[in-house]
Amino acid sequence: MPELSYRDKNTVIHALSPLVKLAWGGGLVVLSLIFNHPVYILILFLSIIPMVRLAGVGREWASTLKFTIWLGLSIIVINALFSYHGDHVLLTAPFRLPAVGQPVITLEAIAFGAVMALKLVVIISVFSLINLTVHPDDIMAVLLKMRLPYKSVLVTSLSTRFVPCLVEDMGRISDGYRTRGVQLDAGGWFKKLRNRGKITLSLLSNSLDRAVQVAEAMEARAFGSGKKRVFYKEISISRLDAAALGVGLLPLAAGITVRVMGYGDYQYYPELASIGGGTIEWALPAIMLLLLAAVVPLAFLKRRVELD
Amino acid sequence: MIRIRELNFTYNGTERPALNKINLTIEDGHFVLLTGASGGGKSTLCRVFNGLVPHFYGGKISGKAEVQGMDILKTPPKELATKVGMVFQDPENQLVTTDVEREIAFGLENLGYPKNLIARRIEEALDTAGIAHLRFARNNELSGGEKQKVAIASVLALHPEILVLDEPTSELDPQSAEEVLRLLERLNDELGLTVILIEQRLDRVVHLVDRMLVMGGGEILADGRPAEVMNGNIAGLGIGLPPVIRLMRELKSHNAALNGLPLTVKDARLRLQKVLQNVKTSAFADAGASLEPVLNIDKVWFAYGERAVLKNINLNIGRGEFIAVMGRNASGKTTLVKQLNGLLKPTKGRVRLGGVDTRKSTAADLSRRVGYVFQNPNDHLFADTVEDEIAFSLRNRGVDETKITKAVEGMLEEFELGRYRKSYPRNLSGGEKQRVALASVLVGQPEVIVLDEPTRGMDYVLKKKLVSYLDDYRRKGNTVIMVSHDVETIAECAERVVLLSEGRVVVEGNKREVLAKALLFSPQINRLAQALSGYGVADTTLTVGEMLEQIG
Repeated sequence: MPELSYRDKNTVIHALSPLVKLAWGGGLVVLSLIFNHPVYILILFLSIIPMVRLAGVGREWASTLKFTIWLGLSIIVINALFSYHGDHVLLTAPFRLPAVGQPVITLEAIAFGAVMALKLVVIISVFSLINLTVHPDDIMAVLLKMRLPYKSVLVTSLSTRFVPCLVEDMGRISDGYRTRGVQLDAGGWFKKLRNRGKITLSLLSNSLDRAVQVAEAMEARAFGSGKKRVFYKEISISRLDAAALGVGLLPLAAGITVRVMGYGDYQYYPELASIGGGTIEWALPAIMLLLLAAVVPLAFLKRRVELD
Repeated sequence: MIRIRELNFTYNGTERPALNKINLTIEDGHFVLLTGASGGGKSTLCRVFNGLVPHFYGGKISGKAEVQGMDILKTPPKELATKVGMVFQDPENQLVTTDVEREIAFGLENLGYPKNLIARRIEEALDTAGIAHLRFARNNELSGGEKQKVAIASVLALHPEILVLDEPTSELDPQSAEEVLRLLERLNDELGLTVILIEQRLDRVVHLVDRMLVMGGGEILADGRPAEVMNGNIAGLGIGLPPVIRLMRELKSHNAALNGLPLTVKDARLRLQKVLQNVKTSAFADAGASLEPVLNIDKVWFAYGERAVLKNINLNIGRGEFIAVMGRNASGKTTLVKQLNGLLKPTKGRVRLGGVDTRKSTAADLSRRVGYVFQNPNDHLFADTVEDEIAFSLRNRGVDETKITKAVEGMLEEFELGRYRKSYPRNLSGGEKQRVALASVLVGQPEVIVLDEPTRGMDYVLKKKLVSYLDDYRRKGNTVIMVSHDVETIAECAERVVLLSEGRVVVEGNKREVLAKALLFSPQINRLAQALSGYGVADTTLTVGEMLEQIG
């Protein structure tokens, strides 16, 4: 699995307010769920590319894509094998299955699987882009800005912070078992499951020890002092950020409107509908693309204002 | 000022008091060392200073305890945070946020300080701790030493009057430990901060502190200036004196011209130069290399992804040898020893155990012949009781229960664990866990035993017992390989030393060739011997015993 943790970089995307990036990314995820039309999904995907390039995280994103493509392919294959709808039969199995009949592979099932896979690529790309360009503590600050309770946000943030420690602990505990003669990956599934269960117990025990130590360290630094907590690095929203936030949210608002207007859907079964249509069918995706890309010039503008 | 009177404390669920009738006064501006055997009450006493005991841990407490005029028994830790700053042993588990600046701000934010004051305090703390260059660094990318400095900076930002540190260097390599101690010295010296430090390695700190307290069994066993405490009767205190002090105590007992006790090599050198005469030339008889090979490391390379960690390692290890593997952090020491039991397999080259390529076996199979003791004993402990823990690997091999019972009893006796046989291993103290971990590996009687930093954070008594056990084990024809930074222990017990740097073996040979005359990795006695070589002392002298042979 590729390394997806935040790296501080001097790029316009890193400099963009985390609130804007989260609004933009969140919007993209919602849009990928509410749209079914391949053109719209493709547009959502294309809008990510300039952001990735400008953030200088192309290599990390590409390695995520490699991993996601396998997932996407499996969606296409599974859908093709198990969805027998569609008029254009490409392949017919030479046998019959009870209750299902004769399995077939249809063009429509492959197309539907492909668009679902592209949706997955969009969602995973958004998560990796956010992970790579938004500082975890900034995510916490945004959640606080949204008036979520501090203690819950802190607990979430601490859990994320200790994930790498948990992974290291697991490696060490597994090594501990191996050096005591346990073949962790040998035997039947029950034995494997039992061995893994033992590791989980040790892991839990380590985590509890760690939790006590962290709590102790926090208490020693006046956590819960009863005084009103101050947030040193509170997310401040300048006018430009507010404008950028508006721009970041615009695609979501526009997308919802487009869907309410009845566009953005697509018929896969029983046969694929025509991609094209009237002027409005092409104009709306083009507007969506423009709105999605509008965050890029704003990022440059923000950098320029900051430099001035 | 800290003032404690007749303080008793017992943790919930235990019978034995962790603190027993403690009477103590610590004046402002002092640098106090707190030492003694594991489980003696040092950490508990430190946690009294900032109220974690009793408020965080609970338990039964009686007596009086005041810090800067505040009654600790009535004041919770969060209210004492601006009076007493506390730094803990594990650098990983005391950092709460993800980057340095936010970490320093954490306590100040909790206290609700205005943002401009927080900004000023962050600047001060960064500069005082000498970590301004790390301001925007992510905590998980820092080294252990840097993490401890960040932890120190984060409590300094609260402007405490007292700084309490619970073994802050025990998880660090010698260079990082030195840097942290130098910082503490400066804080005490220049800012007048009261520093209370728990530390096992006396050689690192005795010359820095004004006062030394020795604890054991929940009581203060000795209290005074370091030279006074170490000059007195130390039997039963459970502390290990630095080699140079042990030497001077021996010499003083039959040389009236030697007064007082030196705390540094330089001090010892100056005193000895005045009285040194009749030096006997000594040739040290070291054991020769074993002829019967047990492990052969042949042109081994190992890489994590694209990063080469071991580069063309060639080593032959013989039966009955005691080998120490040394080197800076991240020099490849642990990666090298993990090749020996198959936990890692070479990317290129071969490791042969008794002629058999380790790539053809699993770590689980190799564990019958190569025992491996991890640095953190928790990584070994899975069972519900100590005796089940020790029996674990034998049961896993399907050994007959009668034989298992006999072997377990032997280990319980050898490591003095009989009284804990039914205890849950993870509930034991650090030293006790270490013993269980060792017993659980050694019960299988492997012909090679690998120990990764076994003495780190270990008290003197335990360390002495471990070294003696390993020496016996080696004499029975087994091979001992120990990764360690502890040059004094290596000088006492190893025969051969392998020094790694950047994944390569830079020096390898008899311990005298490697440790004597080295700048960084030489033991205290050798540094003294080098300075006294003009008087006829062999500059290859490594231990107190060897020095006494010549000048005693």
